[in-house]
Amino acid sequence: MPISSFMGLQTALRGLLAQQRALEVTSHNVSNANTVGYSRQEATMAATPGLKVPAGALQSGGGAMLGTGVDVEAYRRIRDTFIDLQYRAQLMTLGDAATKTRSLDQAELTLSEPGENGIGHQLGQFWSAWADLSNAPESPATRRALVDQAATLSASLNRLSAQFSTVQTQASAEYSAITGASGDVASMANEIAKLNAAIKDTLRGGGTANDLMDRRDLLVDKLAKLAQVSVTDLGTGAISLNFGDAAAPLVNDGTVTWPQVLTAPGGKLGALLSLSSATGTLASYKTDLNNFAKSLADTVNALHAPPNFFSYTLGNEAATLAVAVTSAAVRASVTAAPGANDIALAVAALRGGAAEASYQTLVTRIGSDVQDARRREATAEVLTNALEDRRQSTSGVSLDEEMQNIVRFQRGYQASARAMSTMDEMLDVLINRTGRVGL
Amino acid sequence: MSMRITNSMVARTVLNDLTAVSGRLTATQRKLSSGRELGRPSDDPFRTARALELRKDLEASRQHRDNVREALAWQTVSDTALGKVTDAVQRARELVVQGANDTAGATARGNLAQEITALIDSIKQEANASYSGRFVFSGTLTTTRPYTVGGVDTFAGNAATISREIGPGVSIPINQIGSIVLGNGAGADTLLLDTLRDVVTHLQGGTPADLNILRTTDLQQLDANLDLLSSVRAAVGATTNRLDTAALRLAELEESTLSLLSETEDADMAKTMVDFSMQQAVYQSALKSGANIVQVSLLDFLR
Repeated sequence: MPISSFMGLQTALRGLLAQQRALEVTSHNVSNANTVGYSRQEATMAATPGLKVPAGALQSGGGAMLGTGVDVEAYRRIRDTFIDLQYRAQLMTLGDAATKTRSLDQAELTLSEPGENGIGHQLGQFWSAWADLSNAPESPATRRALVDQAATLSASLNRLSAQFSTVQTQASAEYSAITGASGDVASMANEIAKLNAAIKDTLRGGGTANDLMDRRDLLVDKLAKLAQVSVTDLGTGAISLNFGDAAAPLVNDGTVTWPQVLTAPGGKLGALLSLSSATGTLASYKTDLNNFAKSLADTVNALHAPPNFFSYTLGNEAATLAVAVTSAAVRASVTAAPGANDIALAVAALRGGAAEASYQTLVTRIGSDVQDARRREATAEVLTNALEDRRQSTSGVSLDEEMQNIVRFQRGYQASARAMSTMDEMLDVLINRTGRVGL
Repeated sequence: MSMRITNSMVARTVLNDLTAVSGRLTATQRKLSSGRELGRPSDDPFRTARALELRKDLEASRQHRDNVREALAWQTVSDTALGKVTDAVQRARELVVQGANDTAGATARGNLAQEITALIDSIKQEANASYSGRFVFSGTLTTTRPYTVGGVDTFAGNAATISREIGPGVSIPINQIGSIVLGNGAGADTLLLDTLRDVVTHLQGGTPADLNILRTTDLQQLDANLDLLSSVRAAVGATTNRLDTAALRLAELEESTLSLLSETEDADMAKTMVDFSMQQAVYQSALKSGANIVQVSLLDFLR
């Protein structure tokens, strides 16, 4: 079978077009070098099916396949979904640790320990005020000073307890804001559902939905920081997304099911839930603080009563601790003798007792918790960064590489063009000069 | 396959490293400016626990030193008063010896009796010694004058002890009860005031029997009272010694607690300074290398 004289032109044209497509993809990559969540793309080129020359093509007289040029087979999105999985798991840990660190940090700062403004110091001064009273039980001034010091101490305890509650309330408010009807989760889920539909349409029409998928993956990353996510590919281009420990999938194809109840979702939401819960870390700090306030008040009252020196509401001791006596009613002794100081001595000897030890334990505990949360955050951050590096290493745009590709495809284009003009010259010889002998 | 390095990776790595280094630099700077190694409990929870414990000990030993200072002043007042009482009793003894002499006339004895009555008042005056408005010899009734000068000899205080805490769990009684030495004057308790009143009676009586009693019983009782006085003074001295020792020990304790606290809480300036310069050098080189690496690309070399 004869081969068309113009076939070479067609082959060169395919080359030109393919190099041009590849250049366009390169240009798209360069433009998106700084787009968050963008995965680099690649025009996959493949040789077009050869032209079958049945017989006489080869020296042996056999047939052969004659190359017909190149075509762009696909626009590939270069991405490693396995790294995505690892990355999202780590993001969840990071979200959890970062949130805990931030909240506990705040609780720790309000302690202002070790220092002159902490409760430890004020407690020491409170005992000293009792010792001063034991030195001068006759003096109204020492009584006044004692009551003032006790009021300062109980006000500090009230404030600390209130601060713990505030941190708790903030965590719960943040949780509601994120998971609310118009919160981040809802808006991201709705967008994922829309992207699902768009991707499905595009794929059905035979197109490539690389950029839409990038946007969807970016949203899934953001959700992964909030809670545990797992993604199932539905085969149509759409995905089904499970979020935290919610009963139904958050997004299934085009359907969004939200709000749902979460109990232990992990990630930032998990941390917020555990911080604000009645059995969480902050609640247990409050319990410890209450026990401390109760033990302080009870030991002093046991020696001083009647009347009680401190008053409090059971179950909410730290927040309600108050001095229950006026300075004139402070008792330095069980007897009426003005110089007797047995009660004052006994109370001053409580210094360093069980109450003080329980406060120190609480401070150490908060310190260890914050240190631990900070360490966990640092580790999660290092791991997230490492995974982000691996992801970028696969999907990120390298400008050097793209520059090199530009040169490569430009040269390819030039070469195809040269091949075309060579063909043209050849045809020129064939058409315009052949058979014009002797003219 | 070696890792593909992309531009955003480079930018992010440079930024992360810079943040980390400048974070460390800030932390060291904070240590330098505050002079403290321990800013908050999470810097080192267990050191914080130790710091809290040491701060508590420090506050306690400061207060104990205050208590000791108080108690020492109390002892000084007691001792001075008892010393003056002793002087008065010794003078009274001399007068008794003088008056018990048969050669002394009735007028002379009358004068002696008068002088001893005056001595009784001055002894009572001394027994009313006070420290910052509190009577030191009247037990816990510190606002009540123990004896009425120029009045009856009854002791108006009580016999309760007053204690001061001078160490954790260590209390020490600091007061002496006036009636132990001076007595109640009445009821033949043979204590100081009673004895002196007897002496006055016997001097005024002046009969040979009176003079005999003056020479024997009264003198013996006076001597017994002097012994009692010096034993009470010895007790005051012993308490003073104990307080002095406690004060020294507390001062040493405070000193060592302070240095321990400083070791626990304060930054080692030399070490922190070295750390700071090192971190600064690292920061500068990170900045420099970062600035160099983010600027060049193949673009600079393609024509």
